Amino acid sequence: MENEEEAEALSSNPTREALDLDPALQKKRQTMLERLSNRHQTRTDSSLTRRSAESDSASSPSFESTSTFLSRFSNSKSSIESQLAQCRLSDPTQLKPQLDQISSSISDLEKLVAENSYFLPSYEVRSSLKAVSDLRQSLENLSAELLPKKKFSFRNKGPKKDPIAEPKEKEKEKEPEKSGFRVPASPGIWNKKGETLVHNFKGSEVGEFTISDLDSCEVRLMGSVRALFVHRLRNCKVYTGPVTGSVLIEGVEGCVLVMASHQIRIHNAKRCDFYLRVRSRPIIEDSCEVRFAPYCLSYKGIEEELRETTLDEETENWANVDDFLWLRAVQSPNWSVLPENERVGLIDISNSEEVRPLPVLLVSMCAWSKR
Amino acid sequence: MGLLSIIRKIKRKEKEIRILMVGLDNSGKTTIVLRINGEDTSVVSPTLGFNIKTLTYQKYTLNIWDVGGQKTIRSYWRNYFEQTDGLVWVVDSSDLRRLDDCKMELDNLLKEERLSGSSLLILANKQDIKGSLTPEEIGKVLNLEAMDRTRHWNIVGCSAYTGEGLLEGFDWLVQDIASRIYVLD
Ligand SMILES: Nc1nc2c(ncn2[C@@H]2O[C@H](COP(=O)(O)OP(=O)(O)OP(=O)(O)O)[C@@H](O)[C@H]2O)c(=O)[nH]1
Ligand SMILES: [Mg+2]
Repeated sequence: MENEEEAEALSSNPTREALDLDPALQKKRQTMLERLSNRHQTRTDSSLTRRSAESDSASSPSFESTSTFLSRFSNSKSSIESQLAQCRLSDPTQLKPQLDQISSSISDLEKLVAENSYFLPSYEVRSSLKAVSDLRQSLENLSAELLPKKKFSFRNKGPKKDPIAEPKEKEKEKEPEKSGFRVPASPGIWNKKGETLVHNFKGSEVGEFTISDLDSCEVRLMGSVRALFVHRLRNCKVYTGPVTGSVLIEGVEGCVLVMASHQIRIHNAKRCDFYLRVRSRPIIEDSCEVRFAPYCLSYKGIEEELRETTLDEETENWANVDDFLWLRAVQSPNWSVLPENERVGLIDISNSEEVRPLPVLLVSMCAWSKR
Repeated sequence: MGLLSIIRKIKRKEKEIRILMVGLDNSGKTTIVLRINGEDTSVVSPTLGFNIKTLTYQKYTLNIWDVGGQKTIRSYWRNYFEQTDGLVWVVDSSDLRRLDDCKMELDNLLKEERLSGSSLLILANKQDIKGSLTPEEIGKVLNLEAMDRTRHWNIVGCSAYTGEGLLEGFDWLVQDIASRIYVLD
């Protein structure tokens, strides 16, 4: 079929001289050449993609083109930048619509990243999002400067319209019965209020452990486990030794969590402080007002346990948080680094033998209560 | 381009198998892919987007697409459905609480027209963790017996930590795809 095209092109090109003389034919030839070169381009592109996919590498070739995206992205970006620059020179009465226009261009750019993020290398996603966020920041600065009197507000700004703060859908109770099989309960701590709960894994054969549905409790877990699940906690403090696999946190509010793990995933957290030691990048999803600081736990034997689980080294990853909800948006407003003067300091839970109930009052003395 | 080179190219392509790995976040997809590729698994971050690995397996070239399973990026899965020969659904067998989510997402996936021709391997991962459900139990929870009878499927217990079960699973998948697609080979 390709050969047919080429043959057609050749046959419509009987003699060079004739073509050069006839403008109509020349135009036709030009179109034909363009078509052919496009086809050639597509073929080369796809064979390139194939070749790079064949080469055994960790890189992410894809069927779409990263470079096409990048050039489109940078075009729109420069156009927005020059629009921003022009604002300073424009008629003040025209300013508001102009800024609105720029704001919607930025949203479009953001959408472009979103639509392409599935094939882009994550570095490109990250840096594009950073660029979008910077543009938005410039726009905000500019409007604050040029529109000092009128309160100019953006759609996705302001505490009222926080999409995350509003509870999505009511957590629905799960029905344990499914196709005649009853899922057993995991080992863990469930349904407690106002207690101090101590558990030492040392010497035991616990694989996975769950702490779930706790209100105003203090949980101290010593020794290491492979996987830890944390579910529905309110106003709790949770201190844990090393987790060799991952910690999965879902639905925590007003808590302080001090944990060390290879991976930490945080879903639906609100007003919580996390003190983490983690080998990979911690992530948050559907969370807000969460703050991060380095791990700060101490008990007898913890150093050795951390060493054995290769969690002895401070990787500084506690501050490299990825917010998956803001993958397609500006720099996440949902998390921040906990200021040093608000951090709790070293927590020593060595003397945890005696189990004493924790006064509920104590728990509300959290750093965020200032907010 | 001569006829011979065209034939050679088609032959070469024929040996390629495209595999899509999906499942809930934290199920161990990335760790599994790294493990079967003999790479370091000690530092793995949750996948923001996807990874692709190309590796040679027996006489086939496997293109493995490992797509992130965090809730916010599940909507991107559909971008990878096209031309999928094999679907690997990874389950964290120690995450008892989210088995319902897991079943729901799998059911949705299997409704997908574009995936209807692909073989399905379910990996009941993290078998090394005490308290994990066995592959049989996972099979019951996911109600696999009720699956469309035209689907080729299998469930295998595995651990990305010990490597146990991975070869068995991928062997089955590759054989199943190969016998379905490349009968004349
Ligand atoms: N004990 C144990 N832990 C595992 C196993 N496989 C994976 N893990 C741990 O489970 C966590 C999640 O693994 P990942 O490979 O990142 O999971 P994923 O499915 O790629 O997650 P997403 O990229 O978010 O979709 C990591 O902390 C792994 O170390 C296993 O077989 N046994
Ligand atoms: Mg992954």
